[in-house]
Amino acid sequence: MKRFLIVLLVLMLGSSFIFGAGQQEVSLVDEDANVTIDFWHAMSGTRIELIQSIVDDFMAQNPNITVNVQYTGSYNDTLNKAVSAHKAGNAPHVFHSYEIGTLGMINSGMISPVDQLADRYDIEIPWDDFFVPVQSYYKYQGRHYSMPFNSSTPLIFYNKTLFEKAGLDPENPPKTYEGIREAAIALKASGIDTPVTWNLHSWYFEQMCCLQDAPFVNNDNGRGKELPTAVLFNGAAGNKALDWWIGMYDDGLFMDVGPGWSNHRAAFGAGEVAMVMSSSSDVNLLTKSLAEKGWEMGTGFIPRPEGATGGVAIGGGSLWMTNNHPAEEELAALKLVEFISSDEPQMAWHKGTGYFPVRKTAMDKLEKEGWFIENPNYLTAFEQLLVSPETLNTAGSLLGVFPETRAIIQSEIQECYAGKDVSKALDDAAAQVNDLITEWNELIDL
Amino acid sequence: MKQAGFSSKYLPYLLLVPTFAVLIIFLFYPAFETFRLTFYKVHPYSGAEKFAGLYNLKKIFTNPDYLSSFWTSAIFAIAVIGFGLLTSLLLALLLNQNIKGAKIYRSLLIWPYALSPAIAGALFNFLFNPANGIIGYFTGIRTWMTNGSTALFVVIIAAVWKNLGYNIIFYLTALRNIPKDALEAAELDGAGPVRRFFSITFAFLSPMTFFLLVMNTTYAYFSAFGLIDVLTEGGPAESTNVLIYQLYKDFFVNSRIGYAAAESFILFMIVVLITVMQFQTTEKKVYYQ
Repeated sequence: MKRFLIVLLVLMLGSSFIFGAGQQEVSLVDEDANVTIDFWHAMSGTRIELIQSIVDDFMAQNPNITVNVQYTGSYNDTLNKAVSAHKAGNAPHVFHSYEIGTLGMINSGMISPVDQLADRYDIEIPWDDFFVPVQSYYKYQGRHYSMPFNSSTPLIFYNKTLFEKAGLDPENPPKTYEGIREAAIALKASGIDTPVTWNLHSWYFEQMCCLQDAPFVNNDNGRGKELPTAVLFNGAAGNKALDWWIGMYDDGLFMDVGPGWSNHRAAFGAGEVAMVMSSSSDVNLLTKSLAEKGWEMGTGFIPRPEGATGGVAIGGGSLWMTNNHPAEEELAALKLVEFISSDEPQMAWHKGTGYFPVRKTAMDKLEKEGWFIENPNYLTAFEQLLVSPETLNTAGSLLGVFPETRAIIQSEIQECYAGKDVSKALDDAAAQVNDLITEWNELIDL
Repeated sequence: MKQAGFSSKYLPYLLLVPTFAVLIIFLFYPAFETFRLTFYKVHPYSGAEKFAGLYNLKKIFTNPDYLSSFWTSAIFAIAVIGFGLLTSLLLALLLNQNIKGAKIYRSLLIWPYALSPAIAGALFNFLFNPANGIIGYFTGIRTWMTNGSTALFVVIIAAVWKNLGYNIIFYLTALRNIPKDALEAAELDGAGPVRRFFSITFAFLSPMTFFLLVMNTTYAYFSAFGLIDVLTEGGPAESTNVLIYQLYKDFFVNSRIGYAAAESFILFMIVVLITVMQFQTTEKKVYYQ
């Protein structure tokens, strides 16, 4: 295909010489034209102002570009709004979507790959400067589809003060399934009724499979030539992870706080639990809420079974560019996403949230500033990512029906809390998802 | 009596145009589209369509989660309507007495209706959430919202509470309109307060009760979404997954437009059916003044 394109280009160039018509292939874009572009994002709370200030900096540097920034609800809401807007012909130039929407977006027919636009408008994007796990998540079959923006991994957060009280080493958090379990038993003995929790979220389960170097779906974890046709999470790795999780619940060591992102944070902040798993983007928030009580917080890698050799895949979101806009606007949008991934914005974003910077140079600058010496918890997620081997599993699994798969897995986990057998629950979930995949693969070809 | 007429034959139609324009654009056209899409497979992003006959209906009716949400919806609706009407009638009767500060109580009781479902959901979340809910703290039971049966109970209570104000206003108005002489005559005839309530007050309230029955049915089937989304997201393990929530998930989360269309068609048919049944059976017992 590529060769064919080159031949075609050469022929066209040749013909333009012959006919002397002089019509240029690369349309000339007026870089200084006044343009207004829309940017929809999915970051709530104090993050709204943070993004606004990043965009304000961008507009100060590019006075001819006006960016309308809008918080459009959750990732899922933002995605739906962008899809509807695209159907109606007024899609935002740039929108923010979650990592699990990647395969859907690639097949949606509504986006332009970032690297394609960068080539068209001759903008240099230093892809090599992006951390490998970050670029490999959003790269599909050699093409950089979206611009990495906010990347995170799950972490263990623990209350050092309560650890000390229970006679545990506050500088050395447990790293294995057995370690977490033993720490939980010690904490329980020290008077914390249910010492461990995390919110009901399939993301943790996915990462637990990944840590055992097991693929989540077939066809090269969804990254092969063909679309994935079946899931693999009901194998040995999935069973081992969920057995451990449910076992802690059954033994009264784990508190079921339901779905959503507020309950486990609240339980941790109130000292109801001493250990939670959450996104590394919560570092800032959780450090503050523990400091209010005069407690110190520590972070650690998410646990794995003894001897497991896998690593984590990144989560979070990236910025997508929609197609069918005038060239001037596309160029402005491209400049915007490039700016957001650059050092200064990424450093401000990292400090304000805990999402790690997506580029090496930003990381180096933070290190030189001494930021991590003062704030070691901000480094944990990053170290966890760096020790992860580069495989198809740690690149992250791609699946068109990912949002629904998560809902199904979460529902089955709740059935396990209520007593259902773990391996049966995983098989049931897999059977349901496989049906959905077959259907989706057909729909996407319509 | 002479009826006021229009000077032109076309004027009435012209005056109806704005209303119909709004109805057609925002109601009839989307409803028709939904009905049509019930029989199509739809691309999740581009919206490309392919005729699929009864495929969507077959699919949803073989999905055990969808079938169980029929039952969840029915239990939810019966509980919300029954419990809601009973509580609001009781409160309206209490409010209808000559007591000091009745106006203040009335305003306070109508208040919940002014809240959006999301706010009401957040309030109940403060009370019942497993991490730091107030009720959990005082009862020592944390599992209100993580246990299937109690979660449904919490959602029902929240839905009843949320709609209490609406029901009370209507009952209160109806109570005010009961002719005093009928009650006095009964009292003179020696009827006790219980007899007076059932033979006179309740009879006069029957048209309002019927109206509220219809309104609460639509409320229970269509308006519970916000509460459930904030409180349980349909969980734990689908136990609060009512039809409207399943519909939301299929359209907005799973992007399966064909299923969602079929589901909203079914939901519409259910509510039409229930309303017709109510008109057929209950209305005969209703006494209009």
